[in-house]
Amino acid sequence: MIRAENLTKRYGDTTVVQDLSFTVHPGVVTGFLGPNGAGKSTTLRMILGLDAPTRGHATVDGRPYARHGAPLTRVGALLEARSVHPGRSAHHHLTALAHTHGIPPARVEKVLALTGLTHVARKRVKGFSLGMGQRLGIAAALLGDPATVVLDEPVNGLDPEGVLWIRTLLKSLAAEGRTVLVSSHLMSEMALTADHLVVIGKGRLLADTTVDELVRTSGGTSVKVVTPDADRLRTLLPGAGITVEAPDTLLVTGADAPEIGRTAAAHGLPLHELTPQAPSLEQAFMALTHDSVEYQGASA
Amino acid sequence: MTTPTLTRTATPADTPTVTPRLTHARVLRSEWHKLWTVRSTWITVLSAVALVLGVGILMGATYTSDGGDSDVDTVILTLYGSQLGAIALAVLGILVTAGEYATGMIRATLTAVPSRLPVLGAKAAVYAGVVLALTFLTNLTTFLTAQLFLSDSDQAASLTDDGVLGALAGNAAGITLLGVIALGLGAGLRSVPGAIGAFVGGVMILPEVLGMLPYEVMETVVRYFPTQAAGALGSATPMPGAASPGTALLALLLWAATALAVPALLLKRRDV
Repeated sequence: MIRAENLTKRYGDTTVVQDLSFTVHPGVVTGFLGPNGAGKSTTLRMILGLDAPTRGHATVDGRPYARHGAPLTRVGALLEARSVHPGRSAHHHLTALAHTHGIPPARVEKVLALTGLTHVARKRVKGFSLGMGQRLGIAAALLGDPATVVLDEPVNGLDPEGVLWIRTLLKSLAAEGRTVLVSSHLMSEMALTADHLVVIGKGRLLADTTVDELVRTSGGTSVKVVTPDADRLRTLLPGAGITVEAPDTLLVTGADAPEIGRTAAAHGLPLHELTPQAPSLEQAFMALTHDSVEYQGASA
Repeated sequence: MTTPTLTRTATPADTPTVTPRLTHARVLRSEWHKLWTVRSTWITVLSAVALVLGVGILMGATYTSDGGDSDVDTVILTLYGSQLGAIALAVLGILVTAGEYATGMIRATLTAVPSRLPVLGAKAAVYAGVVLALTFLTNLTTFLTAQLFLSDSDQAASLTDDGVLGALAGNAAGITLLGVIALGLGAGLRSVPGAIGAFVGGVMILPEVLGMLPYEVMETVVRYFPTQAAGALGSATPMPGAASPGTALLALLLWAATALAVPALLLKRRDV
């Protein structure tokens, strides 16, 4: 379990992370979402003790990461930036890390096999593609068979097959009871993998919620109505929010499809289309992060 | 693509015989493994050996008695290549620390060892151990090989002669401690070119410049600077105007300790 409490990181006058508190629970995949530059990587580095928070603190299983006797068995991390000597082979890279904890060589072979790197394990990392580099980072993260896995933008540079592999991996890690925190700036990717979402923008917490809840709260659903009598229908729905998309097309919020249908029928208006529209996660995400941008602009 | 499975419950096949746990000895082993699994180590180490041995043989083979070098200390004459070898080994020291920042490896290292200080300690210990053993063996070999050519000259000497073995070992200790200073500079500056510049400028050239200043006190002070102190350690006969071997070793040890203490403090405080 990861707990961040009032995490704040400032570099001079720039505040990268502001008073961020959230908890990541085991057994589910938690998506850590925010636009580029939102402070995701900085937050993850603070959890791992690589960056010291200006204020606040982060704990893993009840204590700071650095205070654990076998840190690699607590948290396995894939960081955004490449963290490998390009002249060393994948096998030697993992072996060197394994030595720090006395992790047996068999485990090195196992994570190499798991990430599909066995056949290139003896080659120098220099020649690795972006995707292979990501796989090596994930192999390193899994090395200590950790109870918590933190992956920063793991699908970056992966081909579709690799993306699918990551999704399956994340879900199986969570199913095994591990805590899984995975960052992304791609809502669509998180929609397919994550159960829970921690959304940040400009270093502030925007939402700590489930995927379904986020959809529901971000503007709710709207109904697309196509009718030749659009103007009349508008006057018949005084309480609803109505956007005119085209002369015959309305986007209605605040009234659901049955209500609109009944109103139209009662007044004999023909409807060509009556479609409830769930906002995509993308829209929900954009709405959230857009607000944070405006808020920052206004307060500056 | 196979579906990844990662059972939390260990199967008999991969039940670890030891519980994974971070210890100083294991960090040391990790640093040892890292040192020998990159080419730059082999390149710098082999160049250092080749330079010392090559120059030593050259000095021996081309030496003529009464040719103007008769008053040069035998060990210093034999180990003329040391200065070049020391540079190669200083570069290795810098690569061991600053190299990790250049590649990003430091993030993996400090995630595995978040207490941080054991990493610097292990790097310095592994480096010092390897360089001390290596330079001492190279010095022995170089001396004995050069003596094959010098046996009939006025520079003929043997290992059992007064001060010879001590100077061969002292030279190795001097090079090792200079290298530890370079390693410390690399850890503090976190940049390979920056640390090489600082080492060449601050450790190798600066004392020479200071020594040329027309103040007598400078001459005395400069004796205890790393390169002069290392030089004093590598002479079989007492050097005029140099610190005694004991004082020189103490001075070098203090320099090396400082060169490690400063980056150690910074390592604890700085973000990676």
